[in-house]
Amino acid sequence: MEHKAKSRPAAHAAPAAHQASKALILPVAITSPVEIGRLINELTQLDETMMQLELRDPGQAVKMPKTTRLLDKLAETNKLNLLKPEDRQQLLKFLKLIHEHAPVLKMSFSVDPAPVFMERLATWLRQEIHPQILINVGLQPNIGAGCLVYGNSKVFDFSLKQTFVEQRNLLLQRLMTEPKVEAKA
Amino acid sequence: MTIWWLVLILAMIGSAGVAFIWLAVRIGSKPAKKGPATYEEAAEQDVEHIFNEDFREELRNRGRLHFEKIIGDNAMFLQQDLRLTTSQLNEYMKNEIANKLKEEFAKYEQSIMDAKQLAVESIQKTNSAIDEQRKEMSQQLREQIAGEKQRVITRFGEEMADIVNHYVLDAIGDQIDLNNQLEYILAHMEANKQAILEDINSGT
Repeated sequence: MEHKAKSRPAAHAAPAAHQASKALILPVAITSPVEIGRLINELTQLDETMMQLELRDPGQAVKMPKTTRLLDKLAETNKLNLLKPEDRQQLLKFLKLIHEHAPVLKMSFSVDPAPVFMERLATWLRQEIHPQILINVGLQPNIGAGCLVYGNSKVFDFSLKQTFVEQRNLLLQRLMTEPKVEAKA
Repeated sequence: MTIWWLVLILAMIGSAGVAFIWLAVRIGSKPAKKGPATYEEAAEQDVEHIFNEDFREELRNRGRLHFEKIIGDNAMFLQQDLRLTTSQLNEYMKNEIANKLKEEFAKYEQSIMDAKQLAVESIQKTNSAIDEQRKEMSQQLREQIAGEKQRVITRFGEEMADIVNHYVLDAIGDQIDLNNQLEYILAHMEANKQAILEDINSGT
């Protein structure tokens, strides 16, 4: 089931990142490096907006920036106030650490997975493998059911096709046996 | 004087010659006597009397008849001989021609037999070659069929997972929900948890 894969440039988990971000928790709703990148951009823009608001002239109209669900979730989980610059900086530092050093698994499915599915999968992975692990989702319609997991140097084939390959002898035995003809009553 | 002598001698020789000629003519022209003088003459006269013209004519006739008879007999004998010779010649020719024909026919028959034998041998060789080739082709065909069968079976065995997967996907491909697969995926990940951990740690 395991296959050797080409090594990729390592931008994965580092003990330093793990230790530095011990105080903060990555919600299971955030699963992919792309989302981390979006959150960094969003948080950076938010921080800049808040700085501009502080520099605004009195009496000038203020338009508060809207935050996404994920950023709200991240702040809520970690009990951080995004109005505070130190909390934003802490969160930004955490996200950058995650973006640069968190381990990434690429998982390929036959169809695009639903967010709920990804959350459940991320929950298990962060409980059992690594608390900040991220998932890159790919599509491979030919695998049928199951998934393919690409690690740093290995490929784990959990597809239905691989199951059939492992059960090849059983299939051959079943094929070679004479089909039983049911006697008509 | 000499001339006169010569003339005289010649005259003498001439007169002696004339006298001799006259004597000879005188002796030769002496007339026949009326009765036979000797027996020989009498016999000669009787012969003349017996073998007169009639008798001679009869003798001639008899001789002619006898000659004709002899000629006829000889002709008959000659004809018989000729017929015999002809029949023998015919028989000889017939035998010779028959023998020749027999020899020629025998040679011809021998040639035909040889040609037939050659043709038969050639046909037998061709048949044996065809049989051999047919056997080889059958063997090759059997080997190819067996190889192809084995290849198909091997390929089917190798590709069985793909084939079954293909049919399963065709049958229920659209009905498989990822949420339903989560337990299956998590079970496999749990089974390979240690390997995944090692792989993750190896990249850090």
